[in-house]
Amino acid sequence: MKEREELVTKIEEKLAGKVVSSRRDIPNRMYVYIEGENLPEAVRLLFDELSGRYVILTGVDTPAGVEVLYHFSFDGVGLVVTLRVLLDKDKPEIDSITPIVRGAEWIEREIHELLGVEFVGHPNMRRLILAEDWPEGVYPLRRSYGKNTT
Amino acid sequence: MSLKLKALCKSPWIFHVNTGACNNCDIELVDALTPRFDVERFGIVLVGSIRHADALVVTGGVTRQAAPRLKRLYEQAPKPRLVIACGTCACSKGIFHDGYHMAGPVDQIVPVDIYIPGCPPKPEAIIDGVVKLLKKVA
Amino acid sequence: MSPLWMAFLILVFPGFAFTFAFAMAFAWIDRKVTARVQWRVGPPFLQPIYDFVKLLGKEVIVPLDGAKVLFLLAPLVGLSAVTLASTLVWQANLWPVRGFVGDLIVAVYLLTIPSLSVILGGFASNNRIASLGASREMKMILSYELPFIVALIVPIINAGGSIRLGEILLGQSAVSHPSGILAFIAAILCMQAKLGLVPFDAAEAETELMSGPFVEYSGAPLAAIRLTRSMMLFVMPVFLVTVFWGGITTGGGVLSVTVGSLKVLLLLVIVILLRNTSPRVRIDQAIRFFWGPYVTGVAVVAVVLSLLGA
Repeated sequence: MKEREELVTKIEEKLAGKVVSSRRDIPNRMYVYIEGENLPEAVRLLFDELSGRYVILTGVDTPAGVEVLYHFSFDGVGLVVTLRVLLDKDKPEIDSITPIVRGAEWIEREIHELLGVEFVGHPNMRRLILAEDWPEGVYPLRRSYGKNTT
Repeated sequence: MSLKLKALCKSPWIFHVNTGACNNCDIELVDALTPRFDVERFGIVLVGSIRHADALVVTGGVTRQAAPRLKRLYEQAPKPRLVIACGTCACSKGIFHDGYHMAGPVDQIVPVDIYIPGCPPKPEAIIDGVVKLLKKVA
Repeated sequence: MSPLWMAFLILVFPGFAFTFAFAMAFAWIDRKVTARVQWRVGPPFLQPIYDFVKLLGKEVIVPLDGAKVLFLLAPLVGLSAVTLASTLVWQANLWPVRGFVGDLIVAVYLLTIPSLSVILGGFASNNRIASLGASREMKMILSYELPFIVALIVPIINAGGSIRLGEILLGQSAVSHPSGILAFIAAILCMQAKLGLVPFDAAEAETELMSGPFVEYSGAPLAAIRLTRSMMLFVMPVFLVTVFWGGITTGGGVLSVTVGSLKVLLLLVIVILLRNTSPRVRIDQAIRFFWGPYVTGVAVVAVVLSLLGA
């Protein structure tokens, strides 16, 4: 679709120089790999300037480190853009996007609880879904958390 | 004592507790209470307050957050009382066998009187289980 | 009246034992008709008795911070009030000349007490939900007592100003006048609310309030509460038939007793069908309904008509 291609080109030229790489295997799905310091700017571009709809954040523990994905959808043209940030394995830290996108507050709490990612500048980092007596510092969705560990 | 239990089996009032189920077992349980299956023939009535309940029907494997609450509910039900574990997750954690958030199947928290396996159990299976329990208790 | 005879009247016939038996039967009729309306089979005949016996065998749990004595006493107050009301009403039916002046008013007072005992029990439970249910019951009482009493004035006027149940019974029945019919309809709606049945059961809304004022009750007090409600289901239609429709007189032998019983059963079936086919109204809608033109207005019109002689 013409508008979709225009949107993709606009995103690519606005983020030029700040992305590590970008992929687009199917027409309506675009992955952009960026560094942590460029994240707030990219989110502001997608959310405020281009009025994308914030969908959700997801987190993955890979052998190379913890990766956090930010999904934004452009419903009018049928495009979903995902920003992927690979974080340091020993000390995963990233700026919180809650000041920009209010809806990201709870999912950042959840990713912090389950994967141990530190969101700098988060206004309300409290326990969300783990039980009250769950020990601090144990992150159940990490690869190092084995089976049958209680 | 025997008269109490006999009367209990003629009119068991059930109270439904969901301790972290995926809601499939809850849907089937609510189905079993609809006019199509007519459990009122056995005197079974769904009550809203735990103090009126004779049997707790527990669905779902018990999550860590739900475990103390299930225990409290069990203690709030007046004696004599029964516990029915409905669904595979309630009987044995089911597919959440290795889950980090499970405090255990229901019989690790409260004593269970009958297990109804199934994922989810059909309403006919639930009614069959309850009737078998009533026959066993009386 | 020897005390032994009075004890017999109150405790056996037509008092507690008689009302107990018929309350169980009426509760069963209620559940069976409900089941049939829903295309299912329904419980066996002895089910209400099984429920009662089972509840007697359950542990009684009294809230720690509640008003313990009041909590346990409130159901007994309701139960005794409805037993006395039943004795009065049946005595007027079976021996119409034996009542006393003003026994209509005494019966109306006695029939209000079960609702009051519900409120007392709800507030004595130290539970937010019970308090909410009890406060809703208070609002319901405010709303339906007014048109009920206004509607009851009509048979009094028709019987020439007498407030003896026996005289109202022996006189011409109120439904033979148009004013009587209007008052009867208003009284049936008030009866539905007094019995705490849908569409006016906002106090005991099961899906919203988890049995409202009765949340903390268990065991024998709960059995007493349920028995009170079943007895009200029995006494209220008999009371209305006595006051409006000529009662269950024994004057004409078996025939008049049968006709009277059929009238009572008809009222019961009306109550049950109303209950099964209506949604629940909100508490403010209920108050507006009862104080508005549909019920109080109709009752007042009936009073005016009966004063004019119609």
